[in-house]
Amino acid sequence: MKEIYCKFKSTRDDVAALIEQNTEISTDHMTPEIKLRLITPNCHLWHSNGDDSPFLEPFWAFYWPGGQALTRYILDNGERFNGKTIVDIGSGCGATAIACKLVGARHVIANDIDSVAAESIKLNSELNDVTLFITTQNLIGQSSAKCDIILLGDMFYDEQFANIISDWLKKSMTKSSTVFIGDPGRHSFQNHPMREQLKKLACYELPKSCKLQNNGLISSSVWEMSI
Amino acid sequence: MSAYRVLVGCKRVIDYAVKIRVKPDKLGVVTDGVKHSMNPFDEIAIEEAIRLKEKKLASEVVAFSCGPTASQETLRTAMAMGADRAIHVEIDGKEAETLQPIHVAKLLSKVAQEEKIDIIMLGKQAIDDDCNQTAQMTASLLNWPQATFASKIENDNGSFKVTREIDGGLETIKVKLPAVISADLRLNEPRYATLPNIMKAKKKPLAKKKPSDYGVEVKAHQQVLKVEDPPVRQAGQKLETVEDLVVKLKDGGFV
Repeated sequence: MKEIYCKFKSTRDDVAALIEQNTEISTDHMTPEIKLRLITPNCHLWHSNGDDSPFLEPFWAFYWPGGQALTRYILDNGERFNGKTIVDIGSGCGATAIACKLVGARHVIANDIDSVAAESIKLNSELNDVTLFITTQNLIGQSSAKCDIILLGDMFYDEQFANIISDWLKKSMTKSSTVFIGDPGRHSFQNHPMREQLKKLACYELPKSCKLQNNGLISSSVWEMSI
Repeated sequence: MSAYRVLVGCKRVIDYAVKIRVKPDKLGVVTDGVKHSMNPFDEIAIEEAIRLKEKKLASEVVAFSCGPTASQETLRTAMAMGADRAIHVEIDGKEAETLQPIHVAKLLSKVAQEEKIDIIMLGKQAIDDDCNQTAQMTASLLNWPQATFASKIENDNGSFKVTREIDGGLETIKVKLPAVISADLRLNEPRYATLPNIMKAKKKPLAKKKPSDYGVEVKAHQQVLKVEDPPVRQAGQKLETVEDLVVKLKDGGFV
């Protein structure tokens, strides 16, 4: 299967075609104003264990609950994002970055180190008639002095990675930047010392479609980090 | 009322659909190259724990397994079903062959104390050795109440009302927490793990431990003397008429 991935990785058109073949356009989520190409229960890959997937790790093919809550918050509180320069880390399907554009952000960088995710973000931004700057560079660890807002939708799914992100935020955050985090109560987030610096802004109940892909989770919250 | 912490035992066993073959030395069954999966009764236990979490009755579900490295696949399945994290107590193949319920019960009781667990959910028995001992032994080691063969669990203000499947029908009991509950077949119908859940489960924390980390020795206290295939059923005979049947029955001395 890796060979297929590499083969298709070679040209962007092929990747786009492969994404279109294996996903469907969905609005069955917390932000139905945004159309997204996702692997849904109507797609055969949903029912697979991943062995027959042409994609290595299609994280971008699911709209993660932390991202859904964060995106809902952005759409409902547009004034906080209007006119701002924003970086969306681990952009995935790109929904959060798209929402920023929809509420009038000046400049939005959708960042995901997965090149297939980058293609999926491009397809989804086109679906919603917005233009994003997409980069696959690893921005975590780099200086982010120029941006007003950093967005982290469901990035605390892994203990080690949670620490890398929190260390980076501690070092790179300036007084003028704001960090928004969306998280559905993952283990690595619930017990993270960083929690003390966070203020809860909103909590949403997950819709049925989202619960189905996140066994055991029922709600998702948005947090703001202050220094 | 605060939410409970739930520990669930998940044993890796030969898949229920596999035709079991006895090894030539008659001291065990063939496991090499055979499909394994989670003990079906443990799947029911994990499903019930996840439902408690979805009802906000449980704050965290921890999956536990003791066995060879491959047991981690079973724990990933448990996490794909919705467990928050997992603990694997690794033992090598030889030790795994002689692992007995008392060892698992000792490990479970230690983990439960360390993790401040309120409910231990287990399958009523594993389909490989059919022991049906782990839940009872664990309850005894911890001196906790036990509700075995549960077919229905209801929260009742800090205690649980458990319906048990017994020979004569159904028995309803009330247990205070902390408690050990073992799942019977009709408790629920476990969900299947789908791709989004399988992918996310790969990122959930899985702690790797050794029996010595819990001060437990996994020395066998029993020796298997012999394992045999069940007797092969003799072929039947088809008869044309009732008269033929009566003759056959008379010949056999049945009438």
